Amino acid sequence: MRFSFLFFTLFCTRPLLASADKASPDISHLMTNLVLQVALIVIAARVVGIIFSRYLKQPKVLGELVAGIIIGPYLLGSITLPLLKQPLFPKTETLLPVSPELYGLAVIASIVLLFLAGLETDLPTFLRYSFMGSMVGIGGVILSFFLGDMISVLLLPNVNSFMSPTALFMGTLSTATSVGITARILSEKRKMSSPEGVTILAGAVLDDVLGIVLLAVVVGISKIGSKGASIDWGGIAVIALKAFGFWLVCTVLGIIFAKRLSKGLKWLRSNDAIACVAFGLALFLAGLAEMAGLAMIIGAYIMGLSLSQTDISNELRERLDGVYQFLVPIFFCVMGMMVNFSAMKGIVLFGLVFTALAIIGKLLGCGLPAFIMGFNLRGAFRVGAGMLPRGEVTLIVASIGLAAGAIGQDMFGVAIMALLVASVIAPPLLIKSFKGGNGLRNKISVKEKDEGCHIELEFPSVRITEFICSRILKAFRNEEFFACKLNFEDNIYQIKKENISITLLLKGKIIEFNTAAENKQIVSLILLEEIIELKDLFEGIHKLKSPDLMCKELASGLFSEEKKK
Amino acid sequence: MKMNLKKLLGKENVFLDLKSSSKKDIIKEMIDRLVVSGKIKDREAALEAVLTREEKMSTGMENGIAIPHGKTDSVDQLITAVALKKEGVDFDSMDGQVSTIFIMTISPQSRSGPHIQFLAEVSKLLKEPEAREMLLAARTVEEVIRVFS
Repeated sequence: MRFSFLFFTLFCTRPLLASADKASPDISHLMTNLVLQVALIVIAARVVGIIFSRYLKQPKVLGELVAGIIIGPYLLGSITLPLLKQPLFPKTETLLPVSPELYGLAVIASIVLLFLAGLETDLPTFLRYSFMGSMVGIGGVILSFFLGDMISVLLLPNVNSFMSPTALFMGTLSTATSVGITARILSEKRKMSSPEGVTILAGAVLDDVLGIVLLAVVVGISKIGSKGASIDWGGIAVIALKAFGFWLVCTVLGIIFAKRLSKGLKWLRSNDAIACVAFGLALFLAGLAEMAGLAMIIGAYIMGLSLSQTDISNELRERLDGVYQFLVPIFFCVMGMMVNFSAMKGIVLFGLVFTALAIIGKLLGCGLPAFIMGFNLRGAFRVGAGMLPRGEVTLIVASIGLAAGAIGQDMFGVAIMALLVASVIAPPLLIKSFKGGNGLRNKISVKEKDEGCHIELEFPSVRITEFICSRILKAFRNEEFFACKLNFEDNIYQIKKENISITLLLKGKIIEFNTAAENKQIVSLILLEEIIELKDLFEGIHKLKSPDLMCKELASGLFSEEKKK
Repeated sequence: MKMNLKKLLGKENVFLDLKSSSKKDIIKEMIDRLVVSGKIKDREAALEAVLTREEKMSTGMENGIAIPHGKTDSVDQLITAVALKKEGVDFDSMDGQVSTIFIMTISPQSRSGPHIQFLAEVSKLLKEPEAREMLLAARTVEEVIRVFS
């Protein structure tokens, strides 16, 4: 299945390859280069990623980025290899320092990334804490955008207007939060459901949405700008409306029709086919978004967001994991390859100021609304620090800006620098900030979870429990539930069917179920039937005529020559 | 999610006046009636499936409700039936009371589907004393169906 996806994604890059075919007759040479490039990228990204996470205790993505910088065209990649008689990553004459084929692969990877980011969006949490989350998200986006844009106008000699494409891109680059790192820390510290935790998670949802809509507007404006026109406010308004319109219409339609779409997908009856077609639809909407003058990732994100509330969302995430594991390191690595340190020589100071302001923008922009709404200084700082890490959206915005010519290689380098610094300092800052007392000044109305149904079953041994757990999951699947592992380390499963959601936690000899009280009947009945089946099965084993003899027969001859009869 | 119980039940699968007076006979009678209405083609296979399940653990629940059910590939889809025996029958129930309301399901063994979910929805409904009283007071098939609507 995972391989079928790889074929699919590689197939998607064929048009790019085909265009290369027209330009150069030696397609096999191009392909050989591409395959060798991908081989090195895949290996280097993984190895450096592991070094970062295992030894430097840093996120893998940072390692993948650094791997790209090291093997890219501005460092080792430019060395001529004896076998190839040319560098593996030669510098190109175009705006992008990597080949179109490789960039195409990174684009597909960015679609996978954003489709999955959409799928992982926790809309219920956002809606539950929407007011506080919105204030924090909006505060962070506005202040970061303003600071990023302003510092570009003030310090960059060729930027003299707030509406210049470079300033707009630098502003947008400052806004995106990557909540993945924060979510991991919150989960490790068991602070996910704390007032700070839910505020950060809800804020990050809005942050993503705002960042992506902002990107759409900025891409549109920069297209006008690059045509050399003076500021055309009417045109900008049209673009903003178009971006918001596309976003709003697609999201609303997506959420309205998500259940029907999921029902339609289920008609395929194979989870692999469902994942393939859903990913195909994400690519399709990405293409539509680009045709509408927006960025591709917007379409991919909307498709993911639409499907996020359906019962197939976890299944899709699990099935797409293989593609993600393969393509996403390529994305980060290719982004790293585009960093040209020599282009940054004159603007290191600007980079440092930009980075500092990007951090201040989030800390103040998110912390201030949090403080106003009842957090104390400690709590507000936690919220701000949680919104600090940057990631994929920053990189995608930067690469779109670079490809469109709105920002140069120097500013691309600055973006990477800000990303690296923010992502490195955020985790220790966040961990440290959570030491100490309560983060609330007043009691905030963070609703406690409703009283639900909790069922705990204990079995004689861990092995039996694991076996029974797999049987129970199968029983739920037989009832057309979608069950999948949420967390590989903690053995948490989510079992979903339309609006029924059940959490199964495997804790040694105990299996724990948590769900809403109204689902007690279905959970109890499925468990009852399965345990009756199991009782029957175990009794059946007891009734085996001679299990000892069977074992003896299987064991005989393992360490001796077989006796001739 | 709400299942359409009324749609799954159907008027022809409601039996108001069971004649039998023992657990095994009640099951037989319900299956025979489903055979007559054309819902079950292989009587023996269906009977065996329900009785086998009954042997493992009685499906006599609480408050006069019993849910005899079984799985067999002799049916293509979920078959459901509701039957009443107002005088009650000893169904070896959990609370020792006689059973008066019988909800039967027979589902295909090798095909997935919301089979147990049907029983769960029924259980949610019949947990309410009013619903049970309405069922037992029902004089026509329509009145029974109305309880599940």
